[in-house]
Amino acid sequence: MPALGVLALVVGYPVLYTAYLSTQRMNLLDTDPSRYIGTRNYVRLFGDPVFWSSLENTAIYTFGSVIVAALFGLSLALLTENLLGWRFRSIRALLLVPWAVPFVVVAFLFRFMFLQDGGVINAVLLRLGAISSPVLWLNDANLALPSTMLTNIWTMTPFFFLLLSAALSSIPIEVIESARIDRAPTWSMVFHIKLPFLRNELLISGLLMVISNVNDFAKIWAMTEGGPGYATTTLVVYVYRLAFGDFNFGYASAIGVVWLVLLLVFASLYLRAIRTA
Amino acid sequence: MKRILQWLLIGLALAWSLAPVYWMVVTSFKDALEATRPVPTFLPEAPTLANYQGLAGGSLPFLSFFVNTTLSCLATAALAMLIATPAAYALSRGRFRLRGPISQGILVFRMLPLVVMLAPLYLMLLAAGLLDSLAGLVVGFTTFGLPFAVWMMKGFIDTVPIEIEEAARVDGYKKWEILVRVVVPLVLPGLLTTATFVFMESWNNLIFPLSLITTLAKQTLPAAIQLSFTGQFKTDWGGMMAASTVTTLPLMVAFFAVQRSMVRGLTGGAVAGA
Repeated sequence: MPALGVLALVVGYPVLYTAYLSTQRMNLLDTDPSRYIGTRNYVRLFGDPVFWSSLENTAIYTFGSVIVAALFGLSLALLTENLLGWRFRSIRALLLVPWAVPFVVVAFLFRFMFLQDGGVINAVLLRLGAISSPVLWLNDANLALPSTMLTNIWTMTPFFFLLLSAALSSIPIEVIESARIDRAPTWSMVFHIKLPFLRNELLISGLLMVISNVNDFAKIWAMTEGGPGYATTTLVVYVYRLAFGDFNFGYASAIGVVWLVLLLVFASLYLRAIRTA
Repeated sequence: MKRILQWLLIGLALAWSLAPVYWMVVTSFKDALEATRPVPTFLPEAPTLANYQGLAGGSLPFLSFFVNTTLSCLATAALAMLIATPAAYALSRGRFRLRGPISQGILVFRMLPLVVMLAPLYLMLLAAGLLDSLAGLVVGFTTFGLPFAVWMMKGFIDTVPIEIEEAARVDGYKKWEILVRVVVPLVLPGLLTTATFVFMESWNNLIFPLSLITTLAKQTLPAAIQLSFTGQFKTDWGGMMAASTVTTLPLMVAFFAVQRSMVRGLTGGAVAGA
């Protein structure tokens, strides 16, 4: 019980304090103390185009990378399903490697590979004739977000692969056998028998990854710092800039509160979907 | 035919997973000029250790970054487990009214935007005089890692048969003795997995060290890499990749040590707790 008290304090206090901060005019660079300004921070937020574009970027970045990574992970799990013993163990270990690379390293590694001149991705694509001149990747306002997402997909795929391949191996053997006796074709085996078994695993692991991606700061900040312009500015990046660039804690907190509410709505809908399954 | 296709695809998947890591390691052994040559070399022409020597003897104290990161992440893992284990035990075995809501709430807590915690945390540490100290950083990391650690630990503790504990109670064990002497030894693999997970999360964290630590010598490796990019490594990608390789190794070791029980830890709480 005392441990639960600590937990409540550790988690509850910041939330309440943020809610309090969001009603204050508080800037650490100002000499005058913070004061109550009611909902003015929230009013400002609704007219702030950067807030809305950050929200959009967060949604694209999060859902886009989670969905693609889940599909990749699922394909890898199905692809390696019939392997056994040391072969499976060693291939699985190699496929998991990206998971063990720290986010900041992933970011700089891909930043290096995405370099316009001297980057290996451009060099290979030029050699293959897929492009005729070097592409700007992270410095192109249209390509920056997809490029960061590709990087993100690379780090996330092993997570889905590991979870789904564990779930595949726990499907009762009788189910697979009886389908095989009925001569079910491979694709119908996958769609009608295996996928329904993986449904919950997919939903839960998807939720975990959505949560951690909404919070993803390291990869985006280390690759683009939210640029060029605001092309890759997600909510985390925007709030970080407001709080630790401008030291405008009041407004940053207001965004934090709105964001928390949005996440709670999403999570409760999602958990309901899992439960009715 | 089908087998050939399968192995072809597996080969592709392996290339996709490993090529970037290969590129990082290979580049770390190239000199600055060769690292960004327009036509890249797939093996270093003149392998050199200069990039690694540059880390040890360069203008930035990489050794202290390494020590800072290792110490703060280990301390975080230990502190988080010290709080999370009894909390998870209470959630798993306790019979009190708020048990259900708290268990589900933990997953929701996990969704707290990092920044929602950052502003209060910053002001709290400022008031406590812990800003710009490793202790303050440990507090930050723990705040972030704790809810999920409780969730994972609850999943592991749920799998311990209650009969074992009842036998211990009959033998006259007190409640905390049951936890320490009976339950903890049984869930030790799970405890280590959870601790490693917290360790990895802290190691990955960039926003806390960047905003809570202001003295460069006290920085962690990820933050130092980020900060030094505008300085020492501006064009020195070889040095950058050497620093990256060094930052990756401890995480790689930790990950593969617990990889097997990771699956159970990540889903166990959800399956048993829902």
